Amino acid sequence: MDTTVYVPIPDEGTAARPTVTPAVRARALTKTYGRGEAQVRALDGVDVDFTAGRFTAIMGPSGSGKSTLMHLLAGLDSATSGQSFIGSTEVTGLNDKALTALRRTRVGFVFQQFNLLPMFTAEQNITLPVELAGGTVDRQWLGTLVDTLGLSKRLTHRPSELSGGQQQRVAIARALIAQPDVVFADEPTGNLDSRSGAEVLSFLRRSVRELGRTIIMVTHDPAAAAYADRVVLIADGKIAGDITDPTPESALAGLDALRTVASR
Amino acid sequence: MIRLTLSQMRRSAGRLAAAGLAIVIGTAFVAITLLAGNVITRTTYDSIAAQFTGADLVVRGVPADDAALDAVRGTDGVATADPQLMTYQQLEAGGRTIYQGVLAEPTDTSVLPLEVADGSLPEASGEIALPTDVAERLDAAPGDTITLVRNVLEGDQSSEEDAWTEVREQLTVSGTLTDPYGAYSMQGGAAVAPAADVAGWEDDLAAPGEEPVAPTTMLVTLDDPAGVEQARTAITGALTNGAAASGADTADLKVVTPEEHAEAVASEMTGGENVMFTLFVLVFAAVALLVAALVIANTFQVLVAQRTRTLALLRCVGADKGQLRRSVLFEAAVLGLLSSAVGLVAGVGLGQAALTIGRGMDLGVPLPATVTITPAVVLIPLAVGTLVTLVAALSPARAATRVAPLEALRPADAPSAARGAGRVRLVLSILVSVIGFALLGGGVALSTVGQEPTTGLLLAVAGGGLSFVGVLVGSVFWLPRVVALAGRLVGMSGPTARLAAANTLRNPRRTAATSTALLIGVTLVGMMSTGAASARVTMDSELDSRYPVDVTVSTDLSSDPTSVAAGDAVVAPVPAALAGTVSDVSGVSRVVEARATAATVTGDGVDEGLAVTVRGVTPDDAASVLRSTEMVEPLAPGTVVVPEEVSENWDITDGQALTLTGPDGTLDVTAAVTDLADTGMIVVPDDLSSLDPDAPVTSLWVGLDDPSDATSVVPSIQDAVADTEAPADVMGAAVERAGFQQVIDTALGIVIGLLAAAVVIALIGVANTLSLSVIERRRESATLRAIGLSKGQLRGMLAVEGLLIALVGAVLGVLLGLVYGWAGAAAALGWAGTPVIVVPWRDVLVMLLVAAVAGLVASVAPARTAVKTSPVEALASE
Ligand SMILES: Nc1ncnc2c1ncn2[C@@H]1O[C@H](COP(=O)(O)OP(=O)(O)O)[C@@H](O)[C@H]1O
Ligand SMILES: [Mg+2]
Repeated sequence: MDTTVYVPIPDEGTAARPTVTPAVRARALTKTYGRGEAQVRALDGVDVDFTAGRFTAIMGPSGSGKSTLMHLLAGLDSATSGQSFIGSTEVTGLNDKALTALRRTRVGFVFQQFNLLPMFTAEQNITLPVELAGGTVDRQWLGTLVDTLGLSKRLTHRPSELSGGQQQRVAIARALIAQPDVVFADEPTGNLDSRSGAEVLSFLRRSVRELGRTIIMVTHDPAAAAYADRVVLIADGKIAGDITDPTPESALAGLDALRTVASR
Repeated sequence: MIRLTLSQMRRSAGRLAAAGLAIVIGTAFVAITLLAGNVITRTTYDSIAAQFTGADLVVRGVPADDAALDAVRGTDGVATADPQLMTYQQLEAGGRTIYQGVLAEPTDTSVLPLEVADGSLPEASGEIALPTDVAERLDAAPGDTITLVRNVLEGDQSSEEDAWTEVREQLTVSGTLTDPYGAYSMQGGAAVAPAADVAGWEDDLAAPGEEPVAPTTMLVTLDDPAGVEQARTAITGALTNGAAASGADTADLKVVTPEEHAEAVASEMTGGENVMFTLFVLVFAAVALLVAALVIANTFQVLVAQRTRTLALLRCVGADKGQLRRSVLFEAAVLGLLSSAVGLVAGVGLGQAALTIGRGMDLGVPLPATVTITPAVVLIPLAVGTLVTLVAALSPARAATRVAPLEALRPADAPSAARGAGRVRLVLSILVSVIGFALLGGGVALSTVGQEPTTGLLLAVAGGGLSFVGVLVGSVFWLPRVVALAGRLVGMSGPTARLAAANTLRNPRRTAATSTALLIGVTLVGMMSTGAASARVTMDSELDSRYPVDVTVSTDLSSDPTSVAAGDAVVAPVPAALAGTVSDVSGVSRVVEARATAATVTGDGVDEGLAVTVRGVTPDDAASVLRSTEMVEPLAPGTVVVPEEVSENWDITDGQALTLTGPDGTLDVTAAVTDLADTGMIVVPDDLSSLDPDAPVTSLWVGLDDPSDATSVVPSIQDAVADTEAPADVMGAAVERAGFQQVIDTALGIVIGLLAAAVVIALIGVANTLSLSVIERRRESATLRAIGLSKGQLRGMLAVEGLLIALVGAVLGVLLGLVYGWAGAAAALGWAGTPVIVVPWRDVLVMLLVAAVAGLVASVAPARTAVKTSPVEALASE
């Protein structure tokens, strides 16, 4: 049984585009850590939509709640209040079993530390999600991914034999192998030098443009954010701005604006 | 640095706990062993003290012969003096036989620590007082008579064999005795008979041409018990003077109080059997500690690997290698000391509990109320436990010093596998294994083919031990390969299993050490049970020929065929109804009636006038009750089956033509020598009739449903026969067979029980390794959860890991155990015929099952921790 709840989407105040279905939505999403004196309001009533087939960056200063927002959207952590949706499924209402099923088929992750399994080859790492779900690997899709990400010569290598950029590309392929509705990436270039970082980011963009995927990426780097179609700015756990078709300059300007607001 | 070490220990407390538990079990084992040794000493002291409780002084070190007794009796202040004399004699009543220690009655019966329960102490020659339980077993009450059966030397005594004659004497039971202080509980109780009778029986036991040995202990009572010191000097003087006159040796003479005597005897024992017992058990404690050492070494190895960054950081800020090594060793010392202390307390507690339970169970031996805690009991476990922990931490400590300061700067990741083991180790292990197995093979060959059992067994034991050391030292090299193979097989069953298999291989050294710990225990258990099973089967075939019939009921067993041949005695027939009576006893499967007559044998080269008992049985009947039908296989008309022993004694060869002459006719037959153990020959009933048509049934051959029940069935048969009052003897060969098997089973049970500690520690090691791995793979578990691994799959993965580690250790252990068990059985039993190689399937199955279940159980706690890991942690950036 699907625990789908339909909530009317308010017309004003958000970046909803009536022509495209939102892949991911948050409604009054709130997360607090700790109790009493030490309580931290990491997310404070966030309303946001992410369009399918788009590459969106969430940007904000350190500690602004970017990672927390991503965790809640992906169902990795539970919300204190509010709702989040992937497609028409309310993620905030699912139990662990349903969440596991969701992660298997509809969500992919790319981590800052790559998090590949050291004892498996690149190919085994890529196909692992499908195998865990008990499915069969779509060889054609695997071929497409491997070609797009430039991994064809690296499939039999173990992570320790790959560079950071290559490892992150394997991780991207792993995130996309099950053709998920959305891929979440948390600081995917945080552990890479700028050249490998740029490479990974263009691969992420190509996955969206050429393979029709939806990617939500958390970053604090304006240059990285500029690869996205759209930047959602966040500060103090609240949505603080929205930049469409960002450039490194506009992203930096948006971030600076937040900093000046924060320091005031 | 100490503060840092302690705070690090606090942080790793959970990880150290399991390693500590291994040491706790090991040291508790040592403590209990030492305590048990003390209990034995104490029990000995108590029982000796009780034996002499009524005496005022004990004279020891000189023969208590008549001269010495007279000298002491003549001393001023001495009331009575008696030798302490106990002789073991065979008592029979109602078809039951008991071998019983009989004490010489002292002049002053108040010296006896025994109490009369019923009747009185013996007053005249020919009387005996029995312990209550013995009287019950013999079904004898005061006033009843029982039979004393002795073998006495007679005639010219030139040849020992001919000179022994069986003498049966009737004794009257004067009363029954209890032993309230347990004075003779270690000797199986004591009966009492008049001193002169006992001395006479004891003298008759002396071998031909040898003087009877006088007892060496004398019990003395005094007119005035307060005058012990004067009496002591006076007795010493009297004996020394007397000895000086006769030229006897009084160097060992001691006149002591009963307490002093008990102390001396107990401490003599501490130097003998007690030490043997303690050493025997300590060998098993050593195995347990060795396994514990492996678990500890593993834990520290992992801890050092997990602390690589901290260690590197310390090196960066100026710590030198020595400080890092000392830090690890200090940690080990603290852990070892704490765990040993806990183990000591646990051991003392368990020992006390066992003693309390033992006292409640009335074991017949008076146990002390509390354990005796000597300095050794406290210090040895503490020292051994701490030392083992320290030694186990040596190699991890060295690993800690090898951490380069640079590693602090590397990105944090799961610690990489430890460096591969050195080539020296590989060469050494191969060399030691090869030499060991060669010695083992040589030993087996020597004792089976070469018929040199002692040297062969020694060689085999040395070779077995050496090869096992080689195998263990080399396990780092070959065990991971086996795990890889097993993992590949398991991995075919799905992604979870493949993950598990891959996980066990990422730290080959750790997996190897964990499996090896289990391998040690399982190999030893497997070896023991295989050895025992092989021994049992080898013994079985040996017993089959020695005791072909489970139980024999007969009237001619004790008769001498030579006297029958003289024609003056035809044995009494077994009453016709007896066969029915016996077959009604539950547990009896078949009864065959064997007729017999006396005949003389003539033939080429056969000693003149050989007289034998000839039995008549049909081949089918014989086969139906004999354990080994080979022995009567040649039985057919015209053939006489000749037992090997008879053929050897009388120079009869297989296939020889013989003539049997019976009371009513003669018979020409061919001899067929088989390894049947009997004193008579066997023909078919028709042939027997031609010798003696009226040959009576003189024996019943009884087959049991299960010969291992003999200890209960044979007494029932004895009772049934006794009730009919037929003059028949019941010989239960099956009792002896069951006795042999019980000895093997009991020994096996004890040894396996002692090895269990090592296996338990190894299983703790499996759980420990899994938990350590889980802690270290936090991020990885979270990643897997994030990409779609369900909680169930995560649990399953760890279960398969536990299963893989445990089963590989167990399967290899079983295989090695089989090899060692077979080799051991062959080396030890090669003399007793071809050793039969047996796989103890049931035991093997149990071992594998225990290992599998333990592997699964070991994964439960780590899995709980792993499942709690939120997928969010995969994203955490350290
Ligand atoms: N597990 C946690 N416990 C307590 N506070 C947390 C936890 N995770 C995050 N926070 C707090 O929530 C706020 C937002 O954190 P995060 O979403 O990680 O920020 P960002 O990713 O933007 O740097 C911060 O103030 C952080 O300290
Ligand atoms: Mg963050």
